[in-house]
This record gives sequence, C-alpha cells and structure tokens, in this order.
Amino acid sequence: MKARGEALPTQEMLINMGPQHPSTHGVLRVILRTDGEVVVNARPDVGYLHRALEKIGERVTYAQFMPFTDRLDYLASMNCNAAWAWAVEKLAGIEVPERAEYIRVIVCELNRISSHLIAFGSFTADMGAFTPFLYAIRERERINDLFEEICGNRLTYNYVRIGGVSADLPDRFLEKTKEFLDYFDPKIPEYNDLISYNKIFVHRLANVAVATPEDAVAYGLTGPNLRGSGVRFDLRRNEPYSVYPKIDFDICVGTGERGTVGDCFDRYMVRINEMRESVKILRQAIAQIPDGPVMAKVPRVFKPPVGEVYFRAENPRGETGIYLISDGTVNPYRLKIRAPSFVTMNIFEKITRGLMIADIVAVIGSFDIILPEIDR
Amino acid sequence: MLESLAISLVDAVPVLSGVPLWTITLLIMVVVAAVVLTFALTYAGLATYVERKVAGDIQARIGPNRVGPVGILQFLADGIKLLLKEDIIPAKADRFLFVLAPYLVFIGSFAAFVVVPFGVGLIASDLNIGIYYVMAITSLVVVGVLVAGWASNNKWALLGGMRAAAQIVSYEIPVGMALLPAVLIAGSLSLQDIVRSQGGLFGIFGWNLFHNPFTFFSFFLYYVAALAETNRTPFDIPEAESELVAGYHVEYTGIRFAFFFLAEYGDMFVVSSLATACFLGGWHVPFLNAEALPAVWGNLFSLGVFLGKALGLVVVMMWVRWTLPRLRVDQLMRMSWKYLVPLTFFNLLGVSLWLLLFQGRGIPQMIASLFG
Amino acid sequence: MGFKAYLYDIWEAVATTAKGMRITARYGVDPRETITLQYPEERWEPSERYRGFLHNDIKRCTSCTMCVRVCPVDCISLEAVRGADKKMVLASYDINIGRCMYCGLCVEVCPPKSLVHTGGYEMATVSRGELILHFVPEDAETVKGRVAKQVAEAAAKAEAEKAKAEAEKAKAEAEKPADAPQAPDPSPPPKPPGEEAAPFIQPAAPAFAAGNPETADAAGKKPAKEKEEEPAKAGDEGGEAKE
Repeated sequence: MKARGEALPTQEMLINMGPQHPSTHGVLRVILRTDGEVVVNARPDVGYLHRALEKIGERVTYAQFMPFTDRLDYLASMNCNAAWAWAVEKLAGIEVPERAEYIRVIVCELNRISSHLIAFGSFTADMGAFTPFLYAIRERERINDLFEEICGNRLTYNYVRIGGVSADLPDRFLEKTKEFLDYFDPKIPEYNDLISYNKIFVHRLANVAVATPEDAVAYGLTGPNLRGSGVRFDLRRNEPYSVYPKIDFDICVGTGERGTVGDCFDRYMVRINEMRESVKILRQAIAQIPDGPVMAKVPRVFKPPVGEVYFRAENPRGETGIYLISDGTVNPYRLKIRAPSFVTMNIFEKITRGLMIADIVAVIGSFDIILPEIDR
Repeated sequence: MLESLAISLVDAVPVLSGVPLWTITLLIMVVVAAVVLTFALTYAGLATYVERKVAGDIQARIGPNRVGPVGILQFLADGIKLLLKEDIIPAKADRFLFVLAPYLVFIGSFAAFVVVPFGVGLIASDLNIGIYYVMAITSLVVVGVLVAGWASNNKWALLGGMRAAAQIVSYEIPVGMALLPAVLIAGSLSLQDIVRSQGGLFGIFGWNLFHNPFTFFSFFLYYVAALAETNRTPFDIPEAESELVAGYHVEYTGIRFAFFFLAEYGDMFVVSSLATACFLGGWHVPFLNAEALPAVWGNLFSLGVFLGKALGLVVVMMWVRWTLPRLRVDQLMRMSWKYLVPLTFFNLLGVSLWLLLFQGRGIPQMIASLFG
Repeated sequence: MGFKAYLYDIWEAVATTAKGMRITARYGVDPRETITLQYPEERWEPSERYRGFLHNDIKRCTSCTMCVRVCPVDCISLEAVRGADKKMVLASYDINIGRCMYCGLCVEVCPPKSLVHTGGYEMATVSRGELILHFVPEDAETVKGRVAKQVAEAAAKAEAEKAKAEAEKAKAEAEKPADAPQAPDPSPPPKPPGEEAAPFIQPAAPAFAAGNPETADAAGKKPAKEKEEEPAKAGDEGGEAKE
C-alpha cells in the first residue's frame, strides 16, 4: 500500500506495542513503525524481566541453582532443570542411574506436551478463538496433577537433582500417566477439527512471516521454529543424550501444507505434531523403564573439577544451552544460559517487514517465545 | 398508529377530552419509547449474562453463578460497578467529541428498536419505510465509532476506529441487498407488512426462507453480513482485544464504556429481529394463527414467538463467536467485496427472475396449489 | 482466481466452520464437560508430596542450620544457644514464607526430619509482616536469658561439686594407709542435676498446624495457643499436618 500520488503526503506511524499488551506473551515491547496498516519496521525491545539469574548463579551452589532454572522457562520447568543437571553431570563426570534417566525423559516429555498445549492455546486465543485455550488448560491441569503427585508443585517443579531425581515415582504413577495418554490421544484430532484447519485460521497464518531454511539456520533458530522451516534437525536425534537413543520417534518438519514452508502455519503444525510424538515417546519410556536407584552418589559439598562445558538440550522452545565454567569451588565461576527464545527474537525484524499489524501478533505467537527466558 | 391510540384513549377516558390531541399523542409516544428503551436495556443486560453463560458452557466451565439464583443478577452488579468507576477523559483528548461518541453509537443502535415488529400490533411505529429506516439509522454507529477512535488521542483507538468504519460501511451493501428479496416478495418496505406476507400455508411454509432457493441463501448471506455489521467475531477486528487492546473504546471507562457495550448487544438484537421478520416469518408459528386469537392473548403470544426466534438467532451469534478465530482486516474487506457483494447481487437477480417467472409465488405455494 | 477455486473457497469456509461449531455445540450442551471446582465449597485436596507452607517441629529440631545454609533465597533464620546439657536450644526460628519459593531443598536436607511441607496454601494476609512465621512461641531474648541462667546455675553447681570432690579426695588421701592399695572410689561422681531440673522448655502447640494457621491476634508476631499438650499429641498433629 503506497501513498496515493504526490498530492497526499502520508506519514509513518510510530506505535508502541508496549510492555503491557495482551498478546506479547509477557513483557515484550515491540516498536512498530507502520505505514497505515502495513508494518515498515518492527523492533523488539527486551529486558523488562531481567532478574540477573546468571549472576545469582555465581553466588549459589550447583544444587541451589536448580530452583532458579525452574524460573528460566516456567512452562518447561522440568526441561530446564534437566538441562542444568545434565550440564553439571557432564562437567563432573557423574554417572546417572538408568531409572533416573528414564524418569527424567518421562517428565521432560510430559512437560513438552504441557508447554505445547499452552503455546497452542495462547496462540489461538491471540488469533481470536478463545475456546481452544480453555481446552488446552484443561488437558494441562491433568498433567499438573501428575506432576503434583511426583514432586509436589504444579508449576516450578525443582524435581531433577544433580545425579538423578529427588524422589522415586509415587504409587501407580505410571498407570496414571498411561491413563492420561489414553485420554489425550483423541484430543489432538479434536483440536485439528475445531481450529487447526479452520479456513479463517489457515488464512491468517498461511504464507505469513516465511522463514526460509537458510534464514532459519543463519539466525540461529532452533526447535520447532527451525523444524517449521523444513530443516530436519532435532537434538534428540542429532546429538542424542540421556536415553533418547533407545526410543523410537519421528521428527516433525514443516511441509508447507497450507502455504509456504516456514510460515506461521507450519510452525504451529509442527508443535501439534510434536505433541503426538511426545505421546509415543512416553508410551515407550513407560514400557522400558527399569528398576533401580534414582540418585547417584554425589558428595554433600559438591566441587566439580576445574573446566568448562557446554551442554544443549532440546527444550519445547528450542535448544537450551548451558555454558558452565567451574573453578573447583562450590559455586560456579560463570554460567551462561543460551535461551532459545532470545535467539529467536533476532529474526523478528527481518521476518516482519511488509506484514500487517495483526500479523505481528501471529508471528509472536507462532515463535512461542517466553519472556523470562529472553530476559533471564 | 399512535394517533389512533391517542384517539381511543381519549374516548375511553372522558376526563382527557379537554386536553389537545397532540399532547396526548406526545405523551403516548414518550410512554411507548420508554417501554421500548426499558426492554432494550434489560435485554442488553441479560444478553451479557447469557453470553457469559454460553461461553462458559462451551469452554467446559461454569459462567457467572454467584450473584443471584443462577448468577442472573450479574448484569446488575456489572452495571452498578461500571457506574461507580472513575470517569477518565485523556488529557489531550477532544473532550466534546469524546463525550459525544458513545451517545451516537447508542442512538444508532437503539433507535432501530422502534420499527421492530414484536408481535401483532406490537410495533412502536409502523413506518412505511421500515427497512430503509433501519439501514439508515444504524449507519450512525459508523460515525460514532470513528469519532470515538479519533477523539481518544490514542493510536490504537484510531486504528480501531478506522478499521471499524471501513468494515461497517463495506458490509452495509451486502446487508441491504440480502434484505431486498424479502422486500420484493412482500412488495413493501414496512416490516409489519413483510411479516404479514409470510402468513398462511400452515404458518411455516409461508416463511420467506422456504419461498425459493435464492431467499434461502439470502438468509445466510444476510446473517453473515449482519455479523460483520455488529462487529462480532469473526469480524471483531475493531475491538480485537488481543491485538488492538480493545480498539476504539480503549480509553473509555465506566458508563461510557457501558454504552458501547450495550449498543453492541442492541445491534445484535436488531439484526436478529430483522432476520426473523424478513426470513423466519416474524411471529408466525405452525398451526396457530396469532391474529385469530383474542386481542391481548394474541399480542402476548406473538410477542413470545417473535422473541423466541430473535433471541435464538442472538444465541447462534454467541455460539459462532466462541468458535471461530478472527479475520484480518484485509481478509475481511476481501470477503465483503469479492464474496458477499457478488453473491448477494446474484441472489437478487435470481429472486427477481423467479418472481417474474412464477408471478410472485414461492415453491410451497405452488405445491399447495397443485393440491387445490 | 478460477471460478472453481472460488466456489471451493466458499465451500471450505462453510464446512470447516460447521465442523468447529459441532464440537463447541457438544461442549455447550453436555453438562459432564464442565470441570470447574466450585471453590471454596469444593476444595482440591493437595497430594501427599505437595509443597505447601513449611512447618518445623521445634522439639525435634537440632539447630544444625542446614536449612538456613541450603535455602537459595535466604528465607530461614534461626538463633540457638548452647544449653546446660551441652545441646543447642532454639531461641528463635523464623521462616519468611513471602520470600520462600517452595523449592523443597530445606526439607530434603533436614537431618532430624523436623522441617516438613504441609498441605497448606491458603494464607492471604494484609501485611507482609504476617508472612513471617515464628515457630518458637517465646521471645528470643526470654529464651536466651533463661538458658544463660541455667548454664550459669549448672556451672556454679559443677564448681561446687568439683570443690566438694577435691575436698573429699584430699581427706581420703590423708586417711588412707601408706602401702595398702586402695580400690578406687566405686561410686561415680554425682550427676550434675541440670538434666532433670533444668526444665527443657515444653514447647506449646506449634505456631503453624495442619496447613491453616490461626488468625493473628496482632499484626506481626503470631503467638501460638498456650496449650499444655502431650508431645505425642503434638507429634500426631505434626504428622497430620503432612496429609
């Protein structure tokens, strides 16, 4: 939409999609310059939720930092806990018992389902369909019930410990998980019927904010965002850790089924399909889990050897990386967290050129960012 | 009609014969207007309650259920709350226009209640340009919304106001053209006439819905276009809460905000009652002729039937709202100009040809005439 | 756009809308789909391992300060003094549940298992001071003063006993024959009477029981009810609190 001839001068509007906005998934500020309804430039401004987690990490011990990793990405709390545990274990060479690894995989995949449910729910709510959000929350409540039984909290779990997990599975936990999986199986086709393939929804998302595979790799996108652009890369397959090599599952990739490969719809469908894959992983893990101890012998006063390590885990939002430098004392010397949402924001300016204001909301939702992770 | 009411009142109460007729007519007008307004406001309040209950049921939860027996007094609690809120007018806003806008929207919406045919002889004013009047007066809403968006001195409000203006104006055309088949069949713009023309044939087959396939489509086209007129999801882009932070009424607080809200529900009812009157036979039901009943019973019965149908359509609007996502503004405009306008044109052409070919008879009439 | 694509567009819009509306209609009319829990009439009972508010059984607490050291946000504070029997006596034990992040690390490391999570989650207060829970019902200074007095008494008694023992020993030395080996005095030295006499303060009912505290009498300190309960009964209450 260009200005109508030279007779009518137009001006760019500078709109602040401010820190307080119902759709920015947290306190994100986007500075929009628009020509009418079309966006000329959209620059994200982050930092409103900075809590100096990395600095806190330098003054607490390794075990004490675990609850802080909860609050890094509070919707995928188990995954962040486990990433921290795996990083420290890699540094100190601790051997984790197999039962503990299976338990970790089970809770991580359950948390992946619950995180994708929120991504799905809040995304459709941003698009105007308020109902699927409530359905997603209902499913998530059942997952929260499972987590409450296993560790006592419903949101920030602090269940994983360095060397294992804090407590063994409670009574009948595996049966209840299986019941949940049986209950959840028919829900995904229901969501697809209700909203995923709804013509209005598809039209809002198809061909919007296309991230080409080259761009996605260049800007460091990871996780479902990268796979939505057609790149078949999943850390659980390409750099396997824990017991993932023993479990059989597919990698979901965006196929451009309703538009171009790498548009918002593809990223959304990758998340829906990943929920299905997580259900598969969970069934296999429940079947394969052995008996045994759930915690390795870790000294009370834990001093890992001097050195540095970088460990990356496949979190629901992408690749969470922990870069850890230890100087042999009880506190880490430096820990840096590579938050997937922070890196995803890099592509924001490029991808939003020429979109309409309503599409900005679609883009933010389709990238599934979460602010505590961006700002740490 | 009100004049004749005035005359009959003077006849009934001889004391009033000294008072000039125009005074009595005026008084009766005021009373009727008050009755209609009361009905409209009560309906709007209850509609908010029903909306929340419907939303709760669809979303696997309970709606309001604490205030009053099943939460039915919730709208009163909301109303009192809104009355007591602080009235904020932004510093650099255009004060006069800011204050004027809610009134414009309110008038545009509630003035249309005057020609709604609630029942046999229950119409505030049977204008002989009924439909034309409704279309004209609901256009005041556009002015009100634009003024609200501009006067708020807020970029989000301005965007919302402009989108709303574009949307409402472009959907007026399909609305008008989708209503024309009913006018053509009845031969009059007066709503009471249109309802009357759908009588006979067991009370159900005379409805314009079954008259011919083109009017059948017209009903759905009208319903969709009317959804857009009233800014309801999937067309609620002007007030899209998650994108525009409530769009054109973002700066309004308290009772001014309530005006916009009530006007939206009032609009919904007007549009639904137009659909009922023009396509669903108004107050006609199968096997019971309301006009044949004694006076008061007939009025009440037809009122009940009409309200049932109109409110049913309102509930369908709510059902659609909680199911569908929202259209983007350019998709909305595309839908109006590229889909609804051609379709309604085509429909109008079809109805005209049909009426020409079959001398104004519908399918049920022709079937009935086969059986003698 | 071709005519066929145009018609297909319309058809798809209607079909997908109808499919979606059927699902929402089913939810709308089926009353079994409503899953709301009508709080406060219906309450969600937390699970066994639920990490609610913290509760410390101060009779079992040994003042080892493990919980203080492991807390990531420093929300526990305690003061203890060494009593006459050489064991630590808890003068004050405060947990600021406004700061607490319910991570459970303190409960994990507690050696005597006196610190536990209860199932309580309902404690709305009107000031932040009310969020500091005091588990020792008495004032810290009172406890410290009393313990100091006991320690002084015990020390004085020990001195007196020691002096008496010295005097007796000197007397026995003087009386005993030069070459006959003497059996050592078989009677053990009298026990310092501090153990029974010094009243180990029977703590009253804990400040925080069964998840839902009593309302504060005054803003700030929350005095526990002065009940003379058996330790077993209080122990039962503590156990009950976990459920």
